[in-house]
Amino acid sequence: MKIYDLLEKSAFQFGERTAIIHQEERINYRELYRQYCLFTRFLDSLDLPGGSRIAILYENSINYVGLFFAISRAGFVAVPLDTSQKPDKLGYIISDCSAGAVIIQSKYHRVLKGIMEHGKSLEFIISDKEIKADFGEIEFHSLSGINTDGWNESLSPNDRNYSEKFSGELAAIFYTSGSTGTPKGVKLSHKNLLSNTYATVEYLELKPEDRIMVILPFYYIYGNSLLLTHIASGGTIVINNNFMYPELILDTMEKEKVTGFSGVPSNFMILLNKSTFSKRKLESLRYFTQAGGSMAPEIIKRLMKAFPNKQIFIMYGQTEASPRVTYLPPDRLSEKIGSIGIPIPGVDVRIMNEEGFEVPTGEVGELTVAGDNVMLGYWNKDDEENQVIKENRLYTGDFAKKDEDEYIYIIGRKKEIVKAAGNRVSTKEIEERILEHENVAEVAVLGVKDDILGEAVKAVVVLKEGCVGTSRDIQKFCREKLADFMVPKYIEFTDALPKHQSGKIDKTKLAEI
Amino acid sequence: MTVLNETTIRSALRAFIMESFLFGNTEQAFDDSDSFMENGIVDSTGILELISFIEEQYNIQIDDEELIPENLDSINNLVSFIARKTAKMG
Repeated sequence: MKIYDLLEKSAFQFGERTAIIHQEERINYRELYRQYCLFTRFLDSLDLPGGSRIAILYENSINYVGLFFAISRAGFVAVPLDTSQKPDKLGYIISDCSAGAVIIQSKYHRVLKGIMEHGKSLEFIISDKEIKADFGEIEFHSLSGINTDGWNESLSPNDRNYSEKFSGELAAIFYTSGSTGTPKGVKLSHKNLLSNTYATVEYLELKPEDRIMVILPFYYIYGNSLLLTHIASGGTIVINNNFMYPELILDTMEKEKVTGFSGVPSNFMILLNKSTFSKRKLESLRYFTQAGGSMAPEIIKRLMKAFPNKQIFIMYGQTEASPRVTYLPPDRLSEKIGSIGIPIPGVDVRIMNEEGFEVPTGEVGELTVAGDNVMLGYWNKDDEENQVIKENRLYTGDFAKKDEDEYIYIIGRKKEIVKAAGNRVSTKEIEERILEHENVAEVAVLGVKDDILGEAVKAVVVLKEGCVGTSRDIQKFCREKLADFMVPKYIEFTDALPKHQSGKIDKTKLAEI
Repeated sequence: MTVLNETTIRSALRAFIMESFLFGNTEQAFDDSDSFMENGIVDSTGILELISFIEEQYNIQIDDEELIPENLDSINNLVSFIARKTAKMG
């Protein structure tokens, strides 16, 4: 089975159900299937060998969904690109994966020059509309010119009359931002994505009646998971790319009667601090999911208080795990707050020490994962791959421990441990404590070079609207809650923390400020 | 709002956006009517910085309900919004 079978199965089973809503556009599964078939036929006509990488630079939209599945069906490997990335980084990715084609939405035409300069492997550029540019020897195609002749409205699979190119087990390559600055291509197979999709549908209890509010980009593995799980279950995907105006998202959620909302910690913080979120009833909403980093217990409690009757799923994962690894069952949230929960169905999680043995309950070690969700590896980076996959286990780089009920708690990232004056300090713990200060909206803690300590702790703080605070206030507050060596030596105040397009805090950029 | 004030406000807003989000990159020129959202000029984090700048610069308070594109999503929209808010203050 391949990932496009999710769409094909749902098209046959749920043809008339609404698949996607994007602003004023809506499309049912039957119509989406038609678009997907036409895109597949078009891509199949390109003179590219099976297994070729096709990059896609497109905002969340109906077209993105059809194209993503069509790339697979035509025997190619999808490489979703971050639409906020600069041309040189996009060009690096295209060059790194030797993409034979890029599908680029016309609104991103500004990056074309940079992409063509770096992407020497490109043979085709495809866009939704005609673009006036000098493409050199690269062939340009517009999707608006796709031939719809010979389309048969019947849903029979025999309607397909295109060649069956073979792309092997590789379905997609998702590039991670990484803390070193050089993106790494995570190779995910059809099995990786399908196993993770079905496991997630199972624990979220997704049904065709579910309608998910999608603000996270599909090129981000969490966003991709929302896409696959709701297509798999015959649900409706409600797209709104305008999270910079949270009131619009909330209006959409009410209007379209969504049953689920998924976000990263900063999404919830913005909603709780800078919108009418807590005042809205959101009657149709059944659940929230949260992943993409640790959300402080203070914020989780505020969410629980604002919506006491909604399920809140705290989840953990990483791109290298397709991405889902654990979830916290909502009925255990109150007693296990701060935990990332238990492994999802079909996944094995062990906390290992440096010698490669599982640590006893309560002891800290590195969180490792085994299962059908573990990536095939990194594209063209065997050395790095060998560092994280050992004896079929994915070493996540996160320190964690288990309690007596086997519930897992993240202590911190390997790379987010600061050695301040010889003491190993978890930035996560400091962030959680500072967030308990009533005037603090958001905080990021990092290690900075220090002449005396070698490395010192710095906190970058965003205060709540109308609140004041000084470095001294924050340090005094920390001293009451943390060991002395954990109290930040440096405090900086800012209006907003730099973030990736996915909403995750960009600590690399923070370190450069 | 007098013509001079409006011009001053437009210049200040443009300078702040160019400096804070476009890092002085003149290749990403935009018109006063261009949507920040549609053109990827400001993102969900940047909008919070922009709001802080406006509140401090013009001594106004922006309510949560006012964080909508009609008020904030282009230089033209911002100028009109600031005019309405400052007029209310008398």
